[in-house]
Amino acid sequence: MNNIPLEYYIALSGILFTIGTLGVILRRNAIIVFMSLEIMLNSVNLAFISFARYLGDTSGEIFVFFVMAVAAAESAIGLAIILALFRKKQTIYVDEVNVLKH
Amino acid sequence: MIPLIITLLLPLISSLLILFMNKENVKLIKYFTLISSLITFLISLFLLFNFNNTNPDIQYYINVTWVSSLDAGFRIGLDGMSLLLVMLITFISPIAILSSFDSIKTREKEYYFMILLLQFAMVGVFTALDTFLFYIFWELILIPMYFIIGIWGGKNRLYATVKFFIFTMVGSLFMLVAIIWLGNYVGNEILKTGFTTDYLKIKEVANLIPLNYQNWLFWAFAISFFIKVPLFPLHTWLPDAHTEAPTAGSVILAAILLKMGTYGLIRFNLEFFTSASIANASLISIFAVIGIIYGALVAAIQTDIKKLVAYSSVSHLGFVVLGIFSMTAIGIQGAIIQMVNHGLSTGMLFLLVGIIYERRHTREISEYGGIARIMPVYATFFAIAMFSSVGLPGLNGFVGEYLTLIGAFTSPILNSWGYAIAASTGVIFAAVYLLWMYQRVFFGTVDNPSNLNLKDLSKREWAFLVPIVIFIVWIGLHPSTFTNISENSTRKLVNKIENVKFGITPYPELLKNSNLKTNSNQINNNKIGK
Amino acid sequence: MTITQSYLNNLMASVGYFAPEIAIVVTFIVAILFDLMFKKSKNIAAYISIIGLIITGFILSGNIGISKSLFDGLIVVDPYSTFFKFLFLITTILIMVMSLSYKELYDNNRKVGEYYSMLVGITFGMFLLASAVNLITIYLSIEILSLSSYVLAGYTKEIRRASEASLKYVIYGSLSSGIMVYGMSLLYGATMTLDVAKINVAILSGHVELFPIIIGGLMILVGFGYKMSAVPFHYWTPDVYEGAPITITSYLSVASKAAGFAVFIRFFKDLYLLPATSDINIWNTISNFHWQTIVAVLSVLTMTVGNFVALWQENVKRLLAYSSIAHAGYILMAVVVMTNVGITSILLYFVFYMIMNLGAFFVAQLFANKIGSDDLKDYIGLGYRSPVLAVLMTVFLISLTGLPPTAGFIGKFYIFTAVLDKGFVWLAVIGVLNSVVSLFYYAKIFRNMFLRSVADDTKNNFKFSAPAFPLSIAYVLAFATILFGLYFSPILNWAENSVTMFK
Repeated sequence: MNNIPLEYYIALSGILFTIGTLGVILRRNAIIVFMSLEIMLNSVNLAFISFARYLGDTSGEIFVFFVMAVAAAESAIGLAIILALFRKKQTIYVDEVNVLKH
Repeated sequence: MIPLIITLLLPLISSLLILFMNKENVKLIKYFTLISSLITFLISLFLLFNFNNTNPDIQYYINVTWVSSLDAGFRIGLDGMSLLLVMLITFISPIAILSSFDSIKTREKEYYFMILLLQFAMVGVFTALDTFLFYIFWELILIPMYFIIGIWGGKNRLYATVKFFIFTMVGSLFMLVAIIWLGNYVGNEILKTGFTTDYLKIKEVANLIPLNYQNWLFWAFAISFFIKVPLFPLHTWLPDAHTEAPTAGSVILAAILLKMGTYGLIRFNLEFFTSASIANASLISIFAVIGIIYGALVAAIQTDIKKLVAYSSVSHLGFVVLGIFSMTAIGIQGAIIQMVNHGLSTGMLFLLVGIIYERRHTREISEYGGIARIMPVYATFFAIAMFSSVGLPGLNGFVGEYLTLIGAFTSPILNSWGYAIAASTGVIFAAVYLLWMYQRVFFGTVDNPSNLNLKDLSKREWAFLVPIVIFIVWIGLHPSTFTNISENSTRKLVNKIENVKFGITPYPELLKNSNLKTNSNQINNNKIGK
Repeated sequence: MTITQSYLNNLMASVGYFAPEIAIVVTFIVAILFDLMFKKSKNIAAYISIIGLIITGFILSGNIGISKSLFDGLIVVDPYSTFFKFLFLITTILIMVMSLSYKELYDNNRKVGEYYSMLVGITFGMFLLASAVNLITIYLSIEILSLSSYVLAGYTKEIRRASEASLKYVIYGSLSSGIMVYGMSLLYGATMTLDVAKINVAILSGHVELFPIIIGGLMILVGFGYKMSAVPFHYWTPDVYEGAPITITSYLSVASKAAGFAVFIRFFKDLYLLPATSDINIWNTISNFHWQTIVAVLSVLTMTVGNFVALWQENVKRLLAYSSIAHAGYILMAVVVMTNVGITSILLYFVFYMIMNLGAFFVAQLFANKIGSDDLKDYIGLGYRSPVLAVLMTVFLISLTGLPPTAGFIGKFYIFTAVLDKGFVWLAVIGVLNSVVSLFYYAKIFRNMFLRSVADDTKNNFKFSAPAFPLSIAYVLAFATILFGLYFSPILNWAENSVTMFK
């Protein structure tokens, strides 16, 4: 682990973050949108852990636990909402959800 | 002091009391409103009798701290000019209320509530000696006026009331920025005592503000006042608002609300931003003269009597602005007396138009003709109001226009005869359009059969027209009763202006009882190039 | 041993000041439990929550004037946070009381226990947020606040627009909080600490790379901007506000927004604070990067977009949503100057904004109860059908416009004073022009209510009023709106004290 420089981790986390963000913005399937959100949060986790490791400071790792917990809660709520909407509308595509004008 | 507080607060208290009355009991509400406004008028007479004409400063001054961190206070008081205008309010209000007894037939409770609230706010505007308080009253006017036009107005009332609201609002918000900036600059940069909205404090030092800032402040205040006056080319809301407003609304609008603009110009622009006022006097006078002629010409082609009177207001108020920016004692005195005149004569014209409108439900000139035979008394009253508006010598309009024209003619600041000569054509035009209208409505044969059965004036209508006629004649024959009241406060202002411009004091006798002397050095330092 | 001991001591010392938050958590648990135990009485959770929050208020009053750092610098208790906490508390209690009379919420025999306990949960999140001075607590409290809001936005789930609002809310919300937390990781990486004050020290020491700090700051701004519904992070606002139950809409537009501002101001003030000159030029800590310009642009965009889009709205809820965006813009004007005067004016504005905005939404809710619609065209003639409510609505709208003699005017006056105090005349002028624009659409509502009347033959011409209890609340709010327009010194003093003691 020590052989791989920090920049590589940060670059990876940046790439993951970009993929996640683009996924949220571009994809229309609500499930995939939530998966992309998870990718974003995981890129954050990666960044925190690698910084923590590199700086020798544990608070970054603590942060990761919170991010993980929050991510779980977020997707639980998100899926529940998708389920509620699916019962009404029989679709999980966000662009078909359009009662409210955009 | 106590009469002033009562004059200000009695309408507010009465309006709140109306809220607790049963809306079915229209008669009670009507007479309560009328009596309350009459009492207000009687009490305001105490202000008149106890007023010391020789003192050019603020009298009946009341200063109660309100918001200490802004140095904003409940500061009210009167000088000669505001006394005259407050008297005009307390005099016109009962008349306007009496005139709406028959014409307002829906939602009377709300109507009389709004009228009294309006009266409170109007007295507030003319007595406030604190920029913060002034602004509050100034904006408070909008709300009742919006509803008076919007609910009890004519067919196009929606359009008219929104236009009125937006126009006035735009102007006043710039004034708000200027008030804050001024309070901040005067308080923190000049006096170094912290933010202030105290009119008297600001007045003493406001002219020390550098001219380029002063110009901005001047225009921020002036735009708001010009819209209210209204000065050409910001007048377009006025004809709409007038035509759509109910009679009492028109009367109050013409008699008092328009005066808020001209009052503000004297009270704030000339007093605070003397240098900037001098610098901009010629430009504004040009617009005033254009307004005089334009208003008269447009009035001449109107087919609706009320619209004609509305445009004549634009023309008349042009005289007032010209008088103010002549910056001579005669001109400003003329402007002040013309404000009162316009309130009386145009107010009366609107009342008369309202009377015939109630009977015939039309204001088209072509619908009438030969009315003088059917309603001789009405025709007589109309003739008096019209001649007063034209400026016939012996009636009040002549005095005001004459003085403003003399002021513009002799003004050392405008320094040209052109303004007065151009403006005087407005007097001729006024004679043309008013007489022509009068001829078409009252003379000739009765062509329209529906005019045959019109009733002449009722006792109630007599009751509210006669007092106005008395004052029209009084001012016309003996103007000094009224000009004396504002003479000294005007002279003091002119002292200040001429001191800034030429370093001279034309009315030195005022110096001993005013504090101008102590400040003359300061002001001299800031004198703008001669 | 001694380290543990000192930790324990610190913990024990902190818990006392943490009592209000603990009280909220207890309320939350008790409310849920009682709701499960007493299934018969529908509103038991509501009553317990209201009582619990009132008790919290009493406990919170013990923290007035105290300035203390708790739990090893995770959160602080200071007058600034206490001010906001009272604001949140009052808003929540008012919203709960308003919800009791909300027809849509009680339709279909819905269980409402969770609704009230979720509101308590949001309050907890906002309490933490106002106090948070550590990146972990900031993130966590924002998420507590958000997660409960997502659920509440879609609480009336059989109404399709509510579920839809909720879905949009959760997607946009998670996206922006994801961006924010990535920014936090950058700040952490650059400065090796999660404590905002220590980050500030690190920046001032000059030994850190500025690039990640600036990018991180911008990304965190996205998260805060989302909560404040500042343009261009506002895209969720209109949809969510229109779709959510109207009580939640008004709650989000006041409390959630205030929480966003609370943390935004504290975070940036702490992060970029210069030690000696706390008042001036705090934005210039990182030279060559113009935070002030960014916030100014944000402010101008926010109010302009909010006001102009509001002009075209035909739905009152949506209109008020855009207007609340515009109000965020006015408040941001005072953030631009970031002086004590400016922050005082923000606190003052929030108190007034809470009263008038809740009032406006509440009356809209009472209307909706009777006429079953939020459409502007259905408001035609309401001034005659329900004069009392219409007059109250007008009072709130006049205040939102910023006309005297109402609280809204005083709020705007102080914001303009703060802005002009630092010479931002152009910003004030833009603010003023925006007020003019706002006049158009607020006037549209009371124009429809009073100046247009419906034809008598339509079936919708019944007269109505509201039940006594909700009506009295609306009266109180309207009375407060006018009262604070005339007499506001106590609130002003309180706001001033809350700011001067804040670093």
